[in-house]
Amino acid sequence: MHYRVGRMAGLGLRFLAPGVLLMLGAPDAKAQAGTISAAQVIALAATKTSQLTVTIGSGAVQSIPSLTDNAVNLFPTPAVITTSWDVNPGQTNTVDLMAWFTTPAQALTGGSTQIPSSRVLGRVTTGLPVAFTAITENAVGGIGTAGGSLRLFSQNISGPTKKASRTDNLELEIDLVGFATLAPGTYTGTLNIQAVTQ
Amino acid sequence: MQRPLNRALAAAALALALASTAQAQVGLTSTTATVTLNATKTSTLTVTPTTSTATLASITDNSNANNFSNTALTTSWNLTSGTTVRLVGWFGTPASALANGAALIPSTNVEGGINGGGFTAFTGAAVGGVGVAGGTLQLFSQGVAAINYFSSRVDQLNLRLNLVGFPTTTAGLYTGTLNVAAVVQ
Repeated sequence: MHYRVGRMAGLGLRFLAPGVLLMLGAPDAKAQAGTISAAQVIALAATKTSQLTVTIGSGAVQSIPSLTDNAVNLFPTPAVITTSWDVNPGQTNTVDLMAWFTTPAQALTGGSTQIPSSRVLGRVTTGLPVAFTAITENAVGGIGTAGGSLRLFSQNISGPTKKASRTDNLELEIDLVGFATLAPGTYTGTLNIQAVTQ
Repeated sequence: MQRPLNRALAAAALALALASTAQAQVGLTSTTATVTLNATKTSTLTVTPTTSTATLASITDNSNANNFSNTALTTSWNLTSGTTVRLVGWFGTPASALANGAALIPSTNVEGGINGGGFTAFTGAAVGGVGVAGGTLQLFSQGVAAINYFSSRVDQLNLRLNLVGFPTTTAGLYTGTLNVAAVVQ
């Protein structure tokens, strides 16, 4: 009998204890209402990568089928170059398009004979060298080679032009006036085209 | 106290992030596109006369003293191969090298040479595909090699009519065309 009374009392305590605890904790909860923790900040950084591309739509291979000594030899079709950019106008003043030969003394080579870049002229009527100009300038913005470069255009960048593109025709010729008579053969070379922001 | 400090730190972090982005844009370069340049210099071989007309004011029958005015010929070449440059003269129709209406002088009675070296009739075969059978004369044969693949020479072309034993010619103007070309062999 004593045993049964004691067991009943134990069960009652198990049910009553949580309620007692809740009542004891209630005054504390009321005291915390309206309290705000210190704010924490999360820094957000999202980078939009600037874009600068050069593509040659046509004329990537230029050919003169028959060079004439002591004459100006025009490549028959221009190289059509499209330059596109998406840059920060606050950090970019210009987009410059450069053309250059890696080794100016050997712009075109054929066997043991070389045609230097001083004999290769280019013009961009929509750009800077509106008349045929020898590719003998220096590098711009680290792009090009000393004495073997030509700046084709310099595009000012501002808010309205921070994201844009332009297409220019690069016309090329080989000026052999006064140059030593060339030995027969094929002369080949590579003209590099690259844009740079400044 | 901690709130302003956190804000300041966040602002500094953002500023640093933006600064690194801006620096990356200075000197931004595109990839390199290329334009391939090809220019071919072909071999050349030319013959240029100083004058296109040789004249003989008065024909003497039964004589070889019928010299035309001399003509200088410049032969130029720029080659990469070959061993010989040959200069060839020929008449298109040997039987009528010169004609005066129906009166004809055949190429057998027209003689040529260069630089005063003697005369030979235009009666040979074509040379290297140049000329016609029975109406051709090789004027010179110049050896060429790497040392003179680019060179030229000037020669005086001597022409005459050899009418010794030829029937008396009809009075009048005889005209004809002598072709001259060079060939590399």
